[in-house]
Amino acid sequence: MGFSNDQNDKVLITIDAINAELDGINDAVFKDIQTDGEIVTVIYLSSLIDNLTLHRTVIAPLLTNKDDILKAAEVPKKITITSILSSITDGDTIVYFHEKNLFVTVNTYSPPTSSIAQSDAESTVSGPRDVLTESLQTNLSLIKRRIKNTNLKSRDFIIGTETNTKLVVVYMETIVHQENLDRVFKNIDEMDWPGFNDITIVSQIMETHKYSPFTQYHMTERPDFVTSSLLDGRIVIMMENTQGALICPSTFFEFFMSPEDEYNRWTTATLLRCLRFFGFFLTIMLTPFYISALSFHPEILPFEILINLQESRSKVPFPPVIEVLFMELVIEVLREAGSRMPTKIGQTIGIVGGIVIGTAAVEAGLVSNTLIVLVAISALLSFLPPSFTMSNSSRVIRYLFIISAGIFGLYGQMIAFAWLMIHLLNLTSLGTPYMTPLIPRKWSDLMDNVIRLPIHLQKQKKGVSRAMTKKVPPTKGEK
Amino acid sequence: MMDQTKQLNGYHVVFLVQNVMMGTTLLLLPNLLSSVGYSQWWLPLMFALIANLLLIPMVWLMSQYSAYNLFAIHETLLGKWLGKGINVLLILYLIVLIAATCEGYLELIQVVALQDRTITGPLFIFFLLLVYIVSGGIKSIARFCIISFFLVTWMIYFMKWGITEGDIRHALPLFNFSMQELFTATKNGFFSMAGFELILFYFPYIIHQKKVFKQASLGIWICGILYFITAFVSVMYYSEWQLENVLYPVLYLFNAVKFSFLERVDVIAITLWVFFILSTASAYLWVVKKGIDSIRASENKSHLYIISLIIYIFINIQFPEEFQNKLYERVHFVSYGFMIWPIFLCIIHVLKAKKEGVK
Repeated sequence: MGFSNDQNDKVLITIDAINAELDGINDAVFKDIQTDGEIVTVIYLSSLIDNLTLHRTVIAPLLTNKDDILKAAEVPKKITITSILSSITDGDTIVYFHEKNLFVTVNTYSPPTSSIAQSDAESTVSGPRDVLTESLQTNLSLIKRRIKNTNLKSRDFIIGTETNTKLVVVYMETIVHQENLDRVFKNIDEMDWPGFNDITIVSQIMETHKYSPFTQYHMTERPDFVTSSLLDGRIVIMMENTQGALICPSTFFEFFMSPEDEYNRWTTATLLRCLRFFGFFLTIMLTPFYISALSFHPEILPFEILINLQESRSKVPFPPVIEVLFMELVIEVLREAGSRMPTKIGQTIGIVGGIVIGTAAVEAGLVSNTLIVLVAISALLSFLPPSFTMSNSSRVIRYLFIISAGIFGLYGQMIAFAWLMIHLLNLTSLGTPYMTPLIPRKWSDLMDNVIRLPIHLQKQKKGVSRAMTKKVPPTKGEK
Repeated sequence: MMDQTKQLNGYHVVFLVQNVMMGTTLLLLPNLLSSVGYSQWWLPLMFALIANLLLIPMVWLMSQYSAYNLFAIHETLLGKWLGKGINVLLILYLIVLIAATCEGYLELIQVVALQDRTITGPLFIFFLLLVYIVSGGIKSIARFCIISFFLVTWMIYFMKWGITEGDIRHALPLFNFSMQELFTATKNGFFSMAGFELILFYFPYIIHQKKVFKQASLGIWICGILYFITAFVSVMYYSEWQLENVLYPVLYLFNAVKFSFLERVDVIAITLWVFFILSTASAYLWVVKKGIDSIRASENKSHLYIISLIIYIFINIQFPEEFQNKLYERVHFVSYGFMIWPIFLCIIHVLKAKKEGVK
């Protein structure tokens, strides 16, 4: 045992002082325990600690052989009233030995957590099924189970001026680019925000382009995706009480990749990726094109199609742009209402609402048949990207395209498209251009992007993260 | 001197050079060259060669002053006042050039896509976007050039219909034109190569300055070959009378395209063309902004806004049509002078160097 009592020489902390600080906290427990020879006071917050854990780690050793607890517990070299209080709010138990005038802290934090379940937001058909949970420890263990390597480093931060939330930055030391890492550390250090309920708030604060409709950091709740990102040299940020991890930097194209692509054959993966990627452009172009074609350039459509369209529109009294906006908003309302209602009712309302509104709106002469089809297709296409934030973005900018098509027709659409392109080109994620690997081009990344080539061609690390080693580094054992 | 962060790589240079060259002129190129009749198809290759030769003095001059752009070189070579005077003239020329490009395109949009509309509204959003692109700096413009190249150039596939319906025998006989006709065609058509001379302004921003000549030549030749294909297909497709009298031959070439689901491809083509016009105009606007910066000796974002506003108002003023046409036509001749101008600057530089050597 190598503890000394000099912590007491420097500060005078009394039970009363701690008691005064914890006054008004209803679950703060001060328990005096009579052990053989002296009285010991145990202080903890009962809401953070499971009774069984407390009994096993603190009470039982104190009653049987109190030296055991001194061997097992952490004896802080220097203690202050703040450090004691922060240990208590962290879920530790403080044990105070009256005779020795000695404080020790025992790690007893054991809040209830949800079990490792299947992913709802990023479900896949094949591949691992486990998903990150609210517990930071569990999440770290899920990752460390996959990467058994001492190069996997992590650094802790406390963020949130009021909530003191714990945040961990995880990275592979040998692969990650130091400049990226410094940027992340700096961003986190500078964060000045009272409280963090979810890691998406961290992402919003860290983003450089705050006015953009596009999110610049990828958010995932799949440990396998986290692992492959880490091996690529990305930096992963995780926070306690959040079911998800932030991956930075990310690029535009990665929002169209599903973790499942890695487990599929390259042909299937390529087909699906192309669908998702071109679906993004179709979803923002389809209904605006309907507006442009009908209200500005009817001559671009062949006569037969035009006649069909006009026939189906013959009962509709509004201009196409109002018609489209009306129908898109109805779909949006259906989606929002469906997701807010309890699951069982939500589904029913969704189906019934969709069918009823679909047919009734046509018969009532509010919208045309063709438009119902187009809006339904574009709504479906908008849900193709595996990342929910990207599908949200695509739906938002679609309105920009609809309105510009309503004002200037195809010309407006192309102007909006040019805006989208230049905006995407100007975006950066942690200093990395958002449109990598297309512009600036990185050949190594193009192998695994919209088109995924067979796996033996993808030996190199992604250039996006500016990885230090091009190939997978040897483990320490091999050196 | 000014913000000299080197940020343009080889790809940026290639696409900056070639995309700035392709503006509205590609749409009317076969018409401009019509005075030589069916022999016009090889002229773009000759133009590319001339442009490449003109590039030599430019690159040589710039490599002597690798950290300066042309505005700064004028001030060093010609003295402060004369230099600034020339810079002002240059800026005025560029403003008229931007106005000519934008107005030409938007009038086309008005005719083809947005009938019965004034150009005020479309022009306004065009300028909003233009300012947005230019405020991102030269690198942002270069990247936009790359993406617009790939978004628009696939339309070359539409030439297929022109080829199948055309007659390859039109390409021969060669050289049945007089010198006078060749001169007129060159005078009218060489303007289509304008744009590569902007290398005089973004040279200081290029990372590998030693390779510039190669990269810029590549840009010129990509553009030359695209012009060549267009001219050749037009020669095949049109009669000589049509070449002379159809104002936008390339547009009608798109019209030949037949799909079962799409009738008038030219409407889509001309609206997609906005990418080319934006990249051309944004590069010129960036140069004007740099020019104002150098005259006022301070970098300021407001210069960009003021200049854009001036050009916007300039386009919206209703000049007498005759005056306007003449003005825009003359601008083309100024640009020839501007392309030759670096040769004089080279001579002055050599003379000055000799004089200092004697001293």
